[in-house]
Amino acid sequence: MADIDLIDVDKHFGANWVIRKLNLRVDHGEFVVLLGPSGCGKTTTLRAVAGLEEIDSGEIRIDGKSVESLPASDRDIAFVFQLYSLYPHLTAFENIAFPLRAFRMSDKEVRGKVKAVAKVLRIEHLLSQKPSALAGGDMQRVTIGRALVRRPKAILMDEPIGALDAKMREEMRVELRRLHIENNSTTIYVTHDQIEAMSMADRIAIMNDGVLQQVGSPTEVYSRPANLFVAQFVGSPIMNVVDCRIEPADSATNIRLDGMQSVFRFGSDVHRHVAAVGHEEIALGVRPEAVLVERSDQAGYVPAKVHLIEPQGAYDILDIGVGKAVIRARTESQFVTRLHEPVWVQLDPERSHFFDKKSGFALPIGK
Amino acid sequence: MAKLTLKNLSKSYGEIAALRSLSLDVHDQEFFVLLGPTGAGKTTTLRCIAGLEKPEAGEVWIGEDLVNNWSAANRDVALVFQQYSLYPNYTVRKNLEFPLRSKLRRITDEDIGLRVQKAAETLRISHLLDRRTDRLSGGEMQRVAIGRAIVREPRLFLMDEPLSNLDAKLRELLRSELQELHLKLGATLVFVTHDQVEAMTMGDRIGVLCEGQLAQVGTPYEVYNMPRNTFVASFVGTPPINLFDATINDEKIVVAPEKFEFSLPPAARSRLAKVTSDRTKLCVGVRPEHVKLVKTGGIAGTLYGAADHGVEMIMTVNVADHLIQTTQPPTTRIRLNESVRIAFTPDKIHFFDPETTENLACAGNDP
Repeated sequence: MADIDLIDVDKHFGANWVIRKLNLRVDHGEFVVLLGPSGCGKTTTLRAVAGLEEIDSGEIRIDGKSVESLPASDRDIAFVFQLYSLYPHLTAFENIAFPLRAFRMSDKEVRGKVKAVAKVLRIEHLLSQKPSALAGGDMQRVTIGRALVRRPKAILMDEPIGALDAKMREEMRVELRRLHIENNSTTIYVTHDQIEAMSMADRIAIMNDGVLQQVGSPTEVYSRPANLFVAQFVGSPIMNVVDCRIEPADSATNIRLDGMQSVFRFGSDVHRHVAAVGHEEIALGVRPEAVLVERSDQAGYVPAKVHLIEPQGAYDILDIGVGKAVIRARTESQFVTRLHEPVWVQLDPERSHFFDKKSGFALPIGK
Repeated sequence: MAKLTLKNLSKSYGEIAALRSLSLDVHDQEFFVLLGPTGAGKTTTLRCIAGLEKPEAGEVWIGEDLVNNWSAANRDVALVFQQYSLYPNYTVRKNLEFPLRSKLRRITDEDIGLRVQKAAETLRISHLLDRRTDRLSGGEMQRVAIGRAIVREPRLFLMDEPLSNLDAKLRELLRSELQELHLKLGATLVFVTHDQVEAMTMGDRIGVLCEGQLAQVGTPYEVYNMPRNTFVASFVGTPPINLFDATINDEKIVVAPEKFEFSLPPAARSRLAKVTSDRTKLCVGVRPEHVKLVKTGGIAGTLYGAADHGVEMIMTVNVADHLIQTTQPPTTRIRLNESVRIAFTPDKIHFFDPETTENLACAGNDP
């Protein structure tokens, strides 16, 4: 196993920048997910590590050694694609054994290695099947088995479960995470699905327009997003982002959304931070679960109206009108049952974020 | 606007029965969602209503009219597809005007202008009216496609997965917009999707389709909280419901084949006794939010996986090789393979007939 360093990596196709000054370190045994929308540069980054794509400047190091002059085949890295790319005429066993056949290895040794990998992937009972007889999830398990069997320095995966149905994807997320913990292989995993990233990664590296936006643990990127892009790309339903005015009050800060009669009261540090940074245009960000809803007036709560009720089964999402703004709140199922019902809301200051609308950066309030 | 009635609709393609005597009442001004997996017959139903497909048997009523022999054009329904199907060289305005320009309609230019303006305002695309549709983003194109349906002021809107091509963020936004639009227009709307979250959040009622038949019709709460059979129970809700085959052994429920058991408190026991009569075999269903982690008692298992979803942690517990999912607060930290104990919230446990898959609590009622 190995660590991987990307240092000031640049890549462009003609005038289009695909990767800009990317710096990222993946530690030995770490599972890092590159997350971003299509076209953000995540797959190009992965391919550059694999040696399938040249970079224009910067450096990629595996175990401290620059791999610039090393062809893909000599980098000792396994690559798993979205499409299964199995040999259709070979059994699952032979597909997994295939990379080992290039080495002078006894049949017994090959069998041992294939069996060990199959056990971890829970496909021991499928080893004699041809790919055409396998379900999508099992085919992808075989593909992953083939990548793991020769114990490469690192495993790179490009949306490996993107083509599976929702239920299978969920199962595979759990399996891949377990597999990683058991094998401790250095892994870089590319996806556009934030739930995949959140549920599997040790750390998530979020990219947009070729630029790395934030690197952090799932909890970090979810609870302390560095900027508006990350705030709204991670989490479902999406974080509410609304314009607000920030007014200093005695030992407190009043936050007023557009058209609001009353105010949300926050600690005095909010306006001090805003004043210190000198930002004029501030957006407030708050996730639906941090919008607290009551059916009667409570201290610190402001009156609001329910526009829409969106049941999710285990809970409800309410679209709530506060002043002219609409924010979404997460409540217990059937907490509010009628549209236009008056409710009272409060924003949890601990879980509220303030962003500079021009740069998109989060202000370091309460951090 | 009008109500819609389908009576014993049947349709097959060669050997394959797409619809099997399907009956359905959609109320005037209702937002009705047809939910089901690929091949369940959702799109066929929609096409029979629109007049694009002729059922072999059964009746389609729109309002007070039996429309089986009416052409699609005469049925006065508007269809919105997953593909936007706009004229790429036309401006948004021309696309919106197009359905009104038909000679059959004889609408004055002034009236056309007014209708287009009103639809554009409703959908917040007024600023795009003079732009060519191939210069629009996906979300804007789908708004225009919906606008083209609105201007016609049809008796019925039919939508076939209109949000499936959009990214997660846009989908969420358009979901709310569609619901608001529905309230504003007072439209009768039949919306087809395979996405249970879409169905739950948008539908006044949901019809769950399975193999050409309606498995259940009900409000989102009814479908989620009282699923009629195991198909509905596992198709609706994410993470999915935990299901196990079990036998009743005195006051204990014994789960087989890999064995674990739990007992029910008196209230749940008498509820079970009422529906089971002398039955000893059962299928037990428990939703992840009704699986609790407990310190003592309960059922012993080990942690198999943990997926951080930001707002909550989805944990998978291995109990005698049954993988049971539970929803926990986001701060829960348990190491993989660590021992845990779980308990089911007794009054939230569902009991199904393992043969018919029917929910024993609704046996004998109509779907």
